[in-house]
Amino acid sequence: MFSILRDLLRFNVEFLIGFLLTGTIFLFAAAHFFAPYPDTAIYLLPPDMPPSAEFWLGTTSRGQDVFWQISGAIWNTMTFGLTVMILSRIVALAVGMVSGYLGGKADEVLMTINDTLIALPNIPILLLVYFVMRDQMTWPLLALTAALLGWNYDARLIRSVTLSLRNREFTRHAVFAGMSVPQVLIRQHLPYVMPVVFFTAMNNLIWAIGLEVTLSVLGFSDVNRPTVGGMIYWANQHQAAVSGIWWWLVFPIVAVVLLFLGLFLLAISINEYIDPRSRLSRMGG
Amino acid sequence: MHATLKPEASTSSADPVLRVDNLKAYYQMNYFGVSREVRAVDDITLTIRRNEIYGIAGESSSGKSSLIKTIAGAIRPPLRVVSGSVRFDFDGRTLDVYNDPEAMKAARWRHLSYVMQGSMNVLNPVRRVKHAFHDFAFRHMGLSPSAFRARVEAHLERIGLDPQVLESYPHQLSGGMRQRLAIGLATVCEPEFIIADEPTTALDVLVQQDVLALIKDVQMRLGSSIIFVTHDMTVHAAIADRIGIIYAGRLVEEGPSQAMFEQPQHPYTAHLIASLPRIGDTTRRVSLPGKPPNLADPPSGCRFHPRCPLAIAKCETESPPLVPRGEGRVACWRAGEVAAA
Repeated sequence: MFSILRDLLRFNVEFLIGFLLTGTIFLFAAAHFFAPYPDTAIYLLPPDMPPSAEFWLGTTSRGQDVFWQISGAIWNTMTFGLTVMILSRIVALAVGMVSGYLGGKADEVLMTINDTLIALPNIPILLLVYFVMRDQMTWPLLALTAALLGWNYDARLIRSVTLSLRNREFTRHAVFAGMSVPQVLIRQHLPYVMPVVFFTAMNNLIWAIGLEVTLSVLGFSDVNRPTVGGMIYWANQHQAAVSGIWWWLVFPIVAVVLLFLGLFLLAISINEYIDPRSRLSRMGG
Repeated sequence: MHATLKPEASTSSADPVLRVDNLKAYYQMNYFGVSREVRAVDDITLTIRRNEIYGIAGESSSGKSSLIKTIAGAIRPPLRVVSGSVRFDFDGRTLDVYNDPEAMKAARWRHLSYVMQGSMNVLNPVRRVKHAFHDFAFRHMGLSPSAFRARVEAHLERIGLDPQVLESYPHQLSGGMRQRLAIGLATVCEPEFIIADEPTTALDVLVQQDVLALIKDVQMRLGSSIIFVTHDMTVHAAIADRIGIIYAGRLVEEGPSQAMFEQPQHPYTAHLIASLPRIGDTTRRVSLPGKPPNLADPPSGCRFHPRCPLAIAKCETESPPLVPRGEGRVACWRAGEVAAA
């Protein structure tokens, strides 16, 4: 594991940049645990102060320090993204592998649900959930909803891999030797499917963060909890762009763009590493 | 039909380990109201004795693999057993493959192992070889992990592999090594019965000889019975004690291999053997006219009659029963006249 990481850092520039970007942003986000002010408190500081030695990234119209707000916001947004990613990976793996391996009726039922979810548009469903839940809407509930919408493409992908594994000799042998369905899936097929899961996980993380930002910018989340989208939402509420409080908008956007860029570079370089053909074409220069 | 003629059940075997009686297994498909039935295994009766190597020969799509899968109990729809039975006799216990799934499950790999077609690929490409041994054999041996490991290593050394291969991934091994491993996997539990489907087909002749010697050696040491399938008659000549010839889902001839090669009773067998090259013999090898019959719509009467040089009117209408003749059994109306042809 560590030797893979070392090789990637040494030989893959994209990975190096992505790793540094994501790592820096992670450390910056982790710093919010040492923030001098509670991140939900408002009107603690003089409002609308431009970036200065005292307030590095300025203060908001609500009297908050932009630097520490972004720190907490990135942490919360990443927590949301990772929660969605893990939950939806579990669903995608379970549905994809069971559906591909069992085939027949189980496959039909699961894939009908899957295709129905693919056909449904995500944002309106999330808005509907938000309007139904209203005050009970918390971020774990939103993450759960997003996870339930975010697994279907990858379940199909995993299903297609399992479908081809089902007819391989080693599967037939394993079944003949008396391995049960869960044993075949977990011990024979899972190691095969894992690289696919890793790659889709990165994409899913990026998608989930984007979704969270979108919903928060529109105000469809718990707006008192700092998130990247939530900051932009409040900046819009206070018409920061019109009144010249640019630092309230620009810095969170820059932070989330850098996070996206870092994750994207990690995703493509890991994908290239996992897929031996692209590794070879890279060698060919 | 010929069922009333009651085919002879066995050729005087005192100690049968496998009895297949009137086994019929068809591929039954039904799509959009159109049903299709492919009679891949059609009324086959055979017995295999303890300590015997039984070879099944036949051309492609004659139902060899379907027969062997049905015997192993490793069939999946659309292949279904229509009638008949497959019974093993392990440690004096009779085990009906299609009536006793639980006992069958317990017997697999421990008493009955299977080297599948394309067995070079039985190893999962993303897992080390040792995991394959663990997954397939560990539960059946009842040993502690360290004793199991020692047993596997000793077994590998006996079949000419360095125990180091346990730590490798399959792609790091050569085809011959993988084939040896497949046989090693199938024999590590010292089963009484081994089913092998084309165990040497993808190998070049040198490795093939090596693997055949290995199979023979393992069989001699364990005293187990082997049933194996290949279309390659030279392989049968090399290791089989008895041979069964399958044509279009039916057993057309069966007998000791020596006798069969010396004097085939069925015209199809005669052609199979005549097609083998011999050093010094420069006569042109003629191939049989026509092609293997479509099993969804087999010819009437004897299924070989459209291609048979000896066919008479009776062959077109009546299917010949499998009757004892000499040391074996043959299903042909003109069995006595083959050698003369």
